[in-house]
Amino acid sequence: MPASASSPPPPPPPTNSRHEDLIGRLSSSSTHAKLKALRDLKNQIIGNRTKKLCFLKLGAVPPITSILSSAAGGGDDAELNVSLIIQSAAAIGSFACGFDDGVKAVLDAGGFNILLSLISYPNDKVVSAAARSLKFIYQSKLAPRYDFLQGNNMEFIQSLLNSENENVTGLGASIITHSCQTNMQQKALSDTGIIKKLIFMLGGSVTQKEASLESLATILKGNPDVILKFMEPENGGALGTVNELTKDKNARTRLLACMCLIVIRNSSPSCLQDLRIKTKLILILLELLEDDQVGDEAPFALSSLIAEKEDLQVLAFEANVIDKLVNHLRKGPLLSRRLEGILIALANMCSRLERCRDRLLSLEAVKFVTDALSQDSGEVRAAACICLKNVSRSVKNLSAGLFMNENFVVPLVRLLFDDLTFVQVSALDAISNIVVDFLAHKKIFMQCGGVKQLVQLSKSMDSTIRVKAVCALRNLTFLVNDQCKEEILSELTQLTLGSLICDPETCVQEQSLALVRNLVDGPLDSIQHVFAADALLLHAVGQQLQSASKAEVLIQGMYVFTNVASGNEVHKEAVMQELFPPLANDSESVMLKFLHSDDSRLRTAAVWALVNLTFPSSSGAFGRVMKLRNAGVVSQLKNMVNDPCLDVKLRARTALGQSMTSDDGST
Amino acid sequence: MPVRVVETSSALSHPSGGTSGNTLPSACTLLSVGQAFSGTQNVSSQQKDEAWRVNVRIQGCDLDHGYLCGTMEALNVPMADTPVVTFWEGEIVDTKNYTFFTGKWGATSDDDIKHWTKFPSFSPLLSQVEVDGGKSLDLSNYPYIFMRWKEQYFVNVGTDCGLTIAGFYYVCFSCSDGSINGFYYDPNSSPFQKLELKSTNEGRLGFSFSSYELQ
Repeated sequence: MPASASSPPPPPPPTNSRHEDLIGRLSSSSTHAKLKALRDLKNQIIGNRTKKLCFLKLGAVPPITSILSSAAGGGDDAELNVSLIIQSAAAIGSFACGFDDGVKAVLDAGGFNILLSLISYPNDKVVSAAARSLKFIYQSKLAPRYDFLQGNNMEFIQSLLNSENENVTGLGASIITHSCQTNMQQKALSDTGIIKKLIFMLGGSVTQKEASLESLATILKGNPDVILKFMEPENGGALGTVNELTKDKNARTRLLACMCLIVIRNSSPSCLQDLRIKTKLILILLELLEDDQVGDEAPFALSSLIAEKEDLQVLAFEANVIDKLVNHLRKGPLLSRRLEGILIALANMCSRLERCRDRLLSLEAVKFVTDALSQDSGEVRAAACICLKNVSRSVKNLSAGLFMNENFVVPLVRLLFDDLTFVQVSALDAISNIVVDFLAHKKIFMQCGGVKQLVQLSKSMDSTIRVKAVCALRNLTFLVNDQCKEEILSELTQLTLGSLICDPETCVQEQSLALVRNLVDGPLDSIQHVFAADALLLHAVGQQLQSASKAEVLIQGMYVFTNVASGNEVHKEAVMQELFPPLANDSESVMLKFLHSDDSRLRTAAVWALVNLTFPSSSGAFGRVMKLRNAGVVSQLKNMVNDPCLDVKLRARTALGQSMTSDDGST
Repeated sequence: MPVRVVETSSALSHPSGGTSGNTLPSACTLLSVGQAFSGTQNVSSQQKDEAWRVNVRIQGCDLDHGYLCGTMEALNVPMADTPVVTFWEGEIVDTKNYTFFTGKWGATSDDDIKHWTKFPSFSPLLSQVEVDGGKSLDLSNYPYIFMRWKEQYFVNVGTDCGLTIAGFYYVCFSCSDGSINGFYYDPNSSPFQKLELKSTNEGRLGFSFSSYELQ
């Protein structure tokens, strides 16, 4: 039987068109259709970042906010209205959850204030939905800060924390975690009894415990007075409760309890002195490193526990932290956040203790660190640099030439070109240490184009980059042979170095002068570098000594002159000219000023210059002694033979003795 | 500086005396990083008189931890083709991090006293050191710095070079002129090998100072 040819089914509309259709339905005149669209949309975006972004770009947030706003204003069918509020609030929350672009869209569309107004809505489910969504917004750094000290705002926070509704108390805690930043705010929250309420929440559900632990850490951070209050017996052994929570079955609760204790320990070192607690924290954090849920954050918590604290680094070393962190690196590949955390924790372990650096090197783990220098994530690259910086603080290993090879130098020099400033800064720090190298292999660094790039960065507009680049050049110039000095100078030029000495930033001036100091150290010929180009560098140093006020700048400047004054007659006389310019009043000479300085390091540097200027076997010593005597320097030296600083005292005696010998020799 | 291997050395280990109390020695510029010293080590034995030329360079200094390190280059070592360079680490006797009692490297307190008393500048301290190793002394303004230097590894030759660095040096540094005197101690080597060094100025008419800054 003949039949009409059937047409094929129409193809499904393209994805974007389906999404647009869904957004279109949000503006339907039918409330039921709107409700269904809201549910569909919410279900699609939950936990799906790609979909969130897609709907965001198609402009989904404003119509949802509009539904929320209308429904919050009331409607004919109360039950349907409540459903609309709950669904639209939930959809807004989903956009905001863990997604800053979503938070921004919600804030731009005015959703935040509507949600806030719904906290006092006479329906608990609505309040719950609004509180939940607000909590997500407050987890983002984009959320507005809440001003606790204004008007009745503190009462509002108290009312939230007093609520029977868990989402509402959670919101109260989130607002504190996000907004409490100053000591005054911490004190105000503590004085109004908020801490007591948060301690009460520690006995609640998992959500309440966690929200409370985070808030408590925020209120206690860096505030020993508030910590003291927290520890008061009337708070029912709150410290003990937090301590107990480090054993909770929930990994996130354990992590947050550890972080709270770390905040207490870091802010008030007299607390938590018990060695067992410190060791326990280290062991728990190591164990949490294995956890899928909180394993990314655990190494950062460990870092905050051990950073800058040698005693804790010793404990961590004894607990095999280095081996365990390295085992994770071996297991790789790791996601960037976890890799960053482990590298930072290793960096902190190696910041002070040689035995930690030795252990890391003996485990052959540095390979993982150098590999990380080429990772896609800027944070990981920077963390790897920080780790290398701390490992290379070991003079023992620098002396063995361990770091001056292409495995380290090539990737680090490459990072000097990085697009991210914080990566460049970290790479500069690592390079500054590595180029100290005592084995005279500095050429390797130069062959990799390192000097060229350091010189480029020394001209950066960013003063942090500038000072670190000059510091690296200074360290590179330390005990370097003359050929390398020539190469550094030909790239840097006298002119640029001269302007760096007069840089607007004093820390750049200091490093530049230290660089010149190294430049004129070593073989006698090195001194000639400051006499090139009409003694441009020597004059720049002289000018800086006449005008600068920061002791560190003056100290480096004086050592440049000390080193130059250890040369021949011409060199010594040139230093005299700079220190005592022909037309200046001798009684106001910088030399006298420095000899009177309160800073013993500056007095030492100044007296060393005098030791060299009066050096007995130099032919012009007598003339210089006369000049120094006329300028009141010799009589000041006599006052310094019992200087409270041993170094100054001894050098003053030497210089004075030489001055006397010079006098005697002349008669 | 390395010495000839006589027989396998036996180093016994005790925890070193970390004590609390006194102020640290003030920084002495002549003992700062980059400073160089040269002189001799007398390695004479009963068989013959012998002295090796020695150069020392300070590479690291951390007064808070009583730590100093550097290299030692022995120039005319008979069994070596090239100068032999070793890296050493020093303990500064600051009575806070370290006392006069070594407590390790095979040195008893009697050995310590025997060696320290070889330095004339030690005699005013002797009676107190005999009581408590010097824990209660304030050396912060004393014009001599006492140290122990222990070589840690060979920089430019292998460990099979026929030399040993098993021992350590008792060292006395004069803050006034930068001279260094030392005595090598190794139960298996000739006793009291004397190290004598002077601050060098590399052909200059005066003193020169370089520096670096670790990040």
